[in-house]
Amino acid sequence: MKKKLPIHHGMARGIEKRLKNTGLFIKRIWSHKQGKIGLTMVGFLVVVAIFAPYIAPFNPYDVAERTTKGLPPSSKHLLGTTINTGQDIFSMLVYGTRVSLIVGVTSGICIAIVGSILGVAAGYIGGLVDSLVMRIVDIMLVIPTLPLVIVLTNVLGRDYWTIILIFVALGWTGLARTIRSLVLVLKNSNYVKAAELAGASRWHIMIRHILPGTSHLLIMSTALSSAGIMVAEAGLSFLGLGDPTAISWGKMLAEAQRGGALLFGAWWWILTPGIGIFLAVFSFMRLGIVMEEIMNPRMQRSSGVYKVFKNLNSAYVEEVFNSMDDYAKIGVTPAFEHGKGEVTHETGLKA
Amino acid sequence: MAKKLMLIIMMGIMVLCLTSCQNPGQIHRPNADTLYVGSVQASFPTAYMPWLSREGIAPTIAGMLYDSLFSYDEDTGNFVPSIGQEWYYVDQAGEPILTEDGSIDYARLEAVYSDPSHKYLAVKVIIHDNITWSDGKPLTVEDVYYSLDIATNNLLSNHAGALAWTSDLRHKYTNGVLTQRGLFTYEHGAREQGYEIAEEDKDTVIYLHVNKVLGSVMPLFTSVLILPKHIWEPVVTPQNQLNSAAPTEETLYRYRYPVGSGQFVLDTEESGSQQIVLRRRTDYHRTKEDGSPLYNIETIKYVLYQEINVAIYALLKGHIDVLDNSVSSNYLQLFEKEKDLFISNAPGTYIQTLVLNVNPVSSEQNPIRDLLSIKDFRRAIALAVNQEDLIKNVLNGAGIPASSGLMRSTLPDFYNPDADYLPIDYQARVAEANAILDTIVPDRDKDGYRLLNGERITFSILGSPGEQDCISYLEIQFQKIGIKVNYAAKGTQPESTYLYTSRFDMTLHGVSFSLSNIDIMYNAHFSALGRTSNYGRLVNRELDTLIENMRFTLNLNTKYDLIKAIQPILAEEYYKIPLYTSNVISVARTDRFIGYNIVEGSTVLNTSTLQNLKKSNVSR
Amino acid sequence: MKNTYVIKRIFYSLFVFVVVITLNFFIPRIGVVDPAERYYPPQGNMSEIEYEIIKQVTRKQYGFDVSTWQQYLNYLHGLSKGDLGKSFRPGSPAVIDLIVERLPWTLVLSVSTLLIGLIIGVMFGVVAATKRGRWQDTLLLNASTIMVAIPGFFIALMLSFYLGFELEVFPAYTDSNMVANFDWSLAAIRTVAYNAALPVLSMAVGSIIGHAQGTRNAVIAVTNEDFILTAKAKGLKQNTIRYKHILRNSMLPIVTSLGMSISGLIGGQVVIEQVFNWNGMGTLFLEANNTNDYPLMMGIMLLLSGFTILAILITDLVYVLLDPRVTVGDKR
Repeated sequence: MKKKLPIHHGMARGIEKRLKNTGLFIKRIWSHKQGKIGLTMVGFLVVVAIFAPYIAPFNPYDVAERTTKGLPPSSKHLLGTTINTGQDIFSMLVYGTRVSLIVGVTSGICIAIVGSILGVAAGYIGGLVDSLVMRIVDIMLVIPTLPLVIVLTNVLGRDYWTIILIFVALGWTGLARTIRSLVLVLKNSNYVKAAELAGASRWHIMIRHILPGTSHLLIMSTALSSAGIMVAEAGLSFLGLGDPTAISWGKMLAEAQRGGALLFGAWWWILTPGIGIFLAVFSFMRLGIVMEEIMNPRMQRSSGVYKVFKNLNSAYVEEVFNSMDDYAKIGVTPAFEHGKGEVTHETGLKA
Repeated sequence: MAKKLMLIIMMGIMVLCLTSCQNPGQIHRPNADTLYVGSVQASFPTAYMPWLSREGIAPTIAGMLYDSLFSYDEDTGNFVPSIGQEWYYVDQAGEPILTEDGSIDYARLEAVYSDPSHKYLAVKVIIHDNITWSDGKPLTVEDVYYSLDIATNNLLSNHAGALAWTSDLRHKYTNGVLTQRGLFTYEHGAREQGYEIAEEDKDTVIYLHVNKVLGSVMPLFTSVLILPKHIWEPVVTPQNQLNSAAPTEETLYRYRYPVGSGQFVLDTEESGSQQIVLRRRTDYHRTKEDGSPLYNIETIKYVLYQEINVAIYALLKGHIDVLDNSVSSNYLQLFEKEKDLFISNAPGTYIQTLVLNVNPVSSEQNPIRDLLSIKDFRRAIALAVNQEDLIKNVLNGAGIPASSGLMRSTLPDFYNPDADYLPIDYQARVAEANAILDTIVPDRDKDGYRLLNGERITFSILGSPGEQDCISYLEIQFQKIGIKVNYAAKGTQPESTYLYTSRFDMTLHGVSFSLSNIDIMYNAHFSALGRTSNYGRLVNRELDTLIENMRFTLNLNTKYDLIKAIQPILAEEYYKIPLYTSNVISVARTDRFIGYNIVEGSTVLNTSTLQNLKKSNVSR
Repeated sequence: MKNTYVIKRIFYSLFVFVVVITLNFFIPRIGVVDPAERYYPPQGNMSEIEYEIIKQVTRKQYGFDVSTWQQYLNYLHGLSKGDLGKSFRPGSPAVIDLIVERLPWTLVLSVSTLLIGLIIGVMFGVVAATKRGRWQDTLLLNASTIMVAIPGFFIALMLSFYLGFELEVFPAYTDSNMVANFDWSLAAIRTVAYNAALPVLSMAVGSIIGHAQGTRNAVIAVTNEDFILTAKAKGLKQNTIRYKHILRNSMLPIVTSLGMSISGLIGGQVVIEQVFNWNGMGTLFLEANNTNDYPLMMGIMLLLSGFTILAILITDLVYVLLDPRVTVGDKR
């Protein structure tokens, strides 16, 4: 018989309620000022990705549908054709949505899974596990990410699943740290203590109490990491290190540059994939911020941008906000009046 | 408010600063006597190992700094003097085997050397007596001896056969000990062998013993760059070889400051990792017939670009005179719009082929690959290739079809049209291919692709990123006969990773056969097994015998006949299926220099151009 | 207690460094790392035996003839002497020489970007903070949310296209001769500035907005502090408050972030360097990757990691030692 532990604390109750009402959740996103934009854009991209074969006039993977190289935009080819292969650029743009979205979202979800497991384990179990995980995080923080990704694609191969694996392997650290800080707070909350007293096993507590407590962070992080990974994947493909057979926006930019778009003045070839990347990243970010604001009404709007910066690739900006963010999370004001790692017990979830 | 003002002022200052830099006053091609050449490479070398510089631009530069004994003129079939002045075969008594007009008497050669127990041909080479090294010392035949000698002593030279092919020279070292002598000069065993060299000729005469193959002198004369003995002998040891990966200080110095006998000298002051400056030697021994310098250019400056678009941009903007790389035909429409450009759209000499893995090692065999060992199956694949289509789509028309015998059709002495017996009409070819395949693998899946035991037949074609386009079109062509192919990345070391170990289905490979390399190449591509270009490990006894005979016959006519006879047999193997011969497209500016020549298979910067170039009358 | 913390931190950094060295050494070896294969692919006309002998000699010259573990020890030994190994390039130049040759060029870009970003960014940030809620602030916010969504190399491409090719204000690609002809003359420096303009511009936009946002938040947070209120109550002038108290206190997180960004500073923006063909560390790394030049790749990664560790260590120590209010607790 499943033992249902009494859930007392208003906060935990609130979270559970929110989680249960996903339909209500989406409605709430919609009613949020920025939520409309985010949701529409993400929805639009997903639709384009799914219905790509119907939306695109040509199939860029089909070699038989190639035509004259280097055509400028016309009614037949909305964005013209590529200079080096004669593929329809507009169709490539549409099909590129698939790759970007799949890579981004899959990586985001996997990062959320790995980061949450390790973060919860480190925070709750503490001791050796905590040390180990945090040491690994420290080490990975030090190695420069882009060169490491390049080396790994060199030795491990370049198909998209390997690349997703590499991104996940390098991207879980930030989330794990954040989750861990949160778990340290949750660990001391009443309902968890009650569960421990009632004799619930560690696993049970971690999965049924702590993990749900971090759920809003996870969902938001999925959205934001997806955005970040999309940029990273675009960069990797641009360097020519992505999957050579798939069509992605980054690769379109790479081909544009290498095929001489700049020399030929084919600005539409360069502009459109960039806009695509921008739209995808922007919309996912918006969605992530909106989701966080809903789940955490105490968080001010400006600090949403903290999260935005934190989860993207620019390490330096990450650390700016990290140093401030840690304090916000654990309830310490940024004037460094308290010690660097101490936790005050009264704080709620200011994450 | 004050802050805002400050901001605006600062920005204004910065913008002013930047825009004032707009014309920094640097003229890009300042020197009127220098030819500025752009070259797209990963990097430029700063050290020149005499024979192992095989990457990027190093072989080209080495070829300009050093000379070989002779160079080969494809059109006339003659050897052009370089260090060597003349050469001929000699008989047992040391007498030249020449006809009355001074050319090689092949008939008598065959007669003289017909005795099979006589294992070698004797060659006499006389070099010029007025050659000096770039450091002023005279070049003697002892330098030639040293170079050829050390080339055969792998433990001292470490050259791995890379750029100096000496397999047909009967002068051998085994583990550092001379076990067979085949080089004879005044100071090295000529008298003992019975070759009389007069005292006054001691610096200019050398005798060689080569295998009884007509082509054996070719690589010796053209591929071995002659090195200065006085530079290298003092430093080369088995621990510190001629081409060393970890050279000592002294050796490294010699790599960096090369001393050669070629027409150009490396200007080490100006050269670096981004540019190479070569200066013409005024005391070069060869001149044009009227005594004027062989090359008209005083200085050549190579500028490194890492990407072709950057180099093209530089050319269009006037930063360089010549772009010494072949560019894709996609750029032709860009060049045609510019004035002041000389576009060289030269016919190519390389045949791009599709290589099938016909005989993989047993560990790499699988049921699908086994299909490739069936000759009829390969014939179907060859039938499905539409060269016109590839030339039109992949090359934008800048190419010509290639012969199935893999010989250039522009060499009428060797090209055998019998090798091209497959029908020309593509519809007929596809129909025939389908008919063949219907007897081998009749089952098809719903997309029309053929199945083998229920599994779709798929082949991966290994290629570099630039070959993706071609492979995509092959995809469509093979789709017509129901075979699926796709692109697989070659990686950076394809030979060791895939090709020598039979780990591939198909790959693209460019080949070029001509009289100058046929003795080695036919063997390497179609007979020899191991780490050779015979990637698919073809084994055909009849072909092997023909190649062997072609190599060893001393009768030139027989040789030509055999070369012709080999081609249809090659074609019938359907092993290296020809796809096209791409033109070599390159460009140069004509605002400072004119007189560029188009040479088959070369970029616009070829020997002919260098000999004809002159300043244009329009002053810059 | 602080001293023990300092010592502990230093040891910890060393530990991290050793782990990084080890990882750095072993990760490339997952692939094929044999210099003999790389140098001599075709056998040519040699017999198998001779070919094997020569390959062995090459391996010996690069130090690959011993076991992997021994190679690792040799590598550590070399590191202690400052030797990062020999590149696989012809002539086997030392890795450290290649890096030192290109490093200054990357620094030119990074330091310029940093300076521009800092100076202008901080100014903007302060303005936005003081005009909180008004158009300057909203502008900054919108700009930041848009900027992070645009990949840096895209901005670089667009700038290269419009300012470089179309309008020809700046060169679309870096002049190859720039490095070779550099002789510290005014003309040479102007050429460098001219060529660096577009890369720096591409990076500066993001840098400015990032620093601006950071400063703004720091300033706002500090402004709400009690001691600022006290200063205001004391009647200090607006400017004094602004500069002496607010700015100085909010500088600390900015400085922290600078420390963290050292590796970016030195490693350079790989992609942007590639777009403009700027010969710095970024393109050096890409070259090494394209030619499978493992010693060079490992050397660059090690250098970057090393600098990052050093920077973090110094930043942490500066924090702890200089700010008397910070007491030492557990690591975040």
